[in-house]
Amino acid sequence: MRVLLIEDEQRLAENIATALREVGVAVDHAEDGEDGYQCGQQGVYDAIVLDLMLPGKSGQSILQDLRKRKIHTPVLILTALEGKDSIVQLLNNGADDYLSKPFDLGELLARIKALIRRAKGVSSPILTVLDVEIDTIQQTVFRDNQPIELSPTEYRILEYLAHRPRAIVSKREMLEHLYDFDWEHNSNVIEVHISNLRRKLNIIGTEPLIETLRHRGYRLREEAHR
Amino acid sequence: MKAAKATVSITRRLILTVLALEIIAAIALVGAITVHERHLQFTAFDASLRGTAESLMGAVQDAEDSGDNVMLDMRSVRLPKGSVFLVQEETGRVLGREGQLPNAVRDSASEKLEDRIDGRTYRFAILKGVRIIDPGNANKGTAHSIRVIYGMPTKRIWHEVLEAVRFFVVATLVLLSATALLLVWVIRRDLQPIHDLAHAAERITGADWNFTAPESATRTKELRPLAGALEAALSRLQQSFAQQKRFTADAAHELKTDVAIVKSSLQLLSMRMRTAEEYKAGLGRGLDDLTRLEKTVQKLLTLARLEQPDDGRSRDCSLRAALEEAMHQSKSYADLRLIHIDAIVEDDATVSLDREDAVLLCSNLLVNAIQHSTSESAVEITLVEESAIVRLSIRDHGEGISEADRQYLFDPFYRGDLSRSRKSGGTGLGLSICRAICHRIGGSIDIENHPAGGALVTVILPSHLQHGTTVFSNDVSA
Repeated sequence: MRVLLIEDEQRLAENIATALREVGVAVDHAEDGEDGYQCGQQGVYDAIVLDLMLPGKSGQSILQDLRKRKIHTPVLILTALEGKDSIVQLLNNGADDYLSKPFDLGELLARIKALIRRAKGVSSPILTVLDVEIDTIQQTVFRDNQPIELSPTEYRILEYLAHRPRAIVSKREMLEHLYDFDWEHNSNVIEVHISNLRRKLNIIGTEPLIETLRHRGYRLREEAHR
Repeated sequence: MKAAKATVSITRRLILTVLALEIIAAIALVGAITVHERHLQFTAFDASLRGTAESLMGAVQDAEDSGDNVMLDMRSVRLPKGSVFLVQEETGRVLGREGQLPNAVRDSASEKLEDRIDGRTYRFAILKGVRIIDPGNANKGTAHSIRVIYGMPTKRIWHEVLEAVRFFVVATLVLLSATALLLVWVIRRDLQPIHDLAHAAERITGADWNFTAPESATRTKELRPLAGALEAALSRLQQSFAQQKRFTADAAHELKTDVAIVKSSLQLLSMRMRTAEEYKAGLGRGLDDLTRLEKTVQKLLTLARLEQPDDGRSRDCSLRAALEEAMHQSKSYADLRLIHIDAIVEDDATVSLDREDAVLLCSNLLVNAIQHSTSESAVEITLVEESAIVRLSIRDHGEGISEADRQYLFDPFYRGDLSRSRKSGGTGLGLSICRAICHRIGGSIDIENHPAGGALVTVILPSHLQHGTTVFSNDVSA
């Protein structure tokens, strides 16, 4: 998962970004409205956390312009402003959720995750693909009720694929959604992680879960060949 | 009770005044009518007295005897009831009489007079005439000098006069009541614009400051200044209220952001078990965040204190000393940014500020200048005393200010562009505090772009002591 954080307050942004990275979400941080809008309109993010009072371009207008350009990335607004009116207006303008400052960091993380899940058509925090069960809160994976130990990156790849069942996910898309700007972009990294993931998921008596489609990408099998 | 006592009703006053004037006019009118009526009645009375006296004179006839005597023949004379008369010859022979006439009247030589008989006032007419008996005779008849005194009681005239006056009094009272009622209605109607204005003013609440004077009030010449003053005062109040509201909202925003930082720092730290080093570093960051919150609160309190009205206590402080202290305080910051501070302080002036406020003013401006200077440039300070004012100028060699921002730069929490956002470390209150300090003692502060680049802040404060005195004290210290 990859989240764009548009927040001019340096220390607050640092804290939110660190917390998101600690739960396995890639974070890009934009310090002003213009930068934030430029990043957001690429449409590569799974969610955007948007402050309202920003230098350069206000949160309101970023939101409006993104929706105008048909960017449907879920947006969570962080606001220190009072008043029901502005919240109603924000939601009408296409915001998906809001939190007022000072907020609870845990709540922010939970809401971002819920937003991402819902945007991908999943409402439960537990994803199930065939006999594989992924608990996105505990970040644990079970296959056939047996726990499987995954590295953080392997887990993120599996979770991302599980969020998009039947869809073919290219290596490029995976790179975009799993890593932030600070990461070295190298598609070989993905191949290595996929191969490790396959090996770990391959329990005796089960079928292979991840399909490789040449030059196109990867896909999670949903129907069993039983 | 006290309030009721103090209430003054313009309506009641006007009505009472007009009615009092009307009553005075009515009394004067009735008086004049009385005098006039009395005169008329008495003239008529005197004429009738005289007429009756003439008839009496006519009733003096030749006595049907051999001599040339005269007698009074009352057959053709009708006398009103209560009248008295005396007809007598010069010789004193009484020809006829009715009632007893007072001696004063009998002996009087004048033609008209008044006297009392049995307690009643009588008015008399006195007629003298000559009656000639047998003028056809050879001796041309005998002449008899006759004197007729006739009197009637005046009670009846007074009755007539009072009757006439009573009619006028009743008519006046009826008119007075009618005009009083009309007056009440007219005054009520004419004072309606005042009620309209009050009603419009009543609708003003803390939430809705909109006030437009009703047309009836603006059309009324006497009310127009009041309506205008109300509108102007309310619009000023609304402005300052809106400013206060904005300030409160901005302050809340600022404080919430600072609290959000502190809270998230601590929550981040407690998300999972960490090593001792991580905890130590995290706590250090949290403490820094808390210090920033503390600074914001402190500045807010300072601004609130400065915006309170002055307590009038007299203060003296050398601006030069304050500037020197501020320069000393910000030296390390200037060194860090490789900024050279170039101060030309020729004069000194005593300003009526607390020393800490004067230092705060200087150091805020100095830090601001250092903050916005490009690295390795100079900040130039001049302090000049002119007649009764002291001028402090601080110029930096930074990017200067944008004209669009200029008028807002002293507003609390104003952050016009990126360079002045929170990233630069300021709370957005420094310049507001400077302005509050200057305004407190009737000074001014302005910021503009220097023609040769960079921002120039000019502070003008009223100075306290004469130039010579200051120089003298400098000499002593030197």
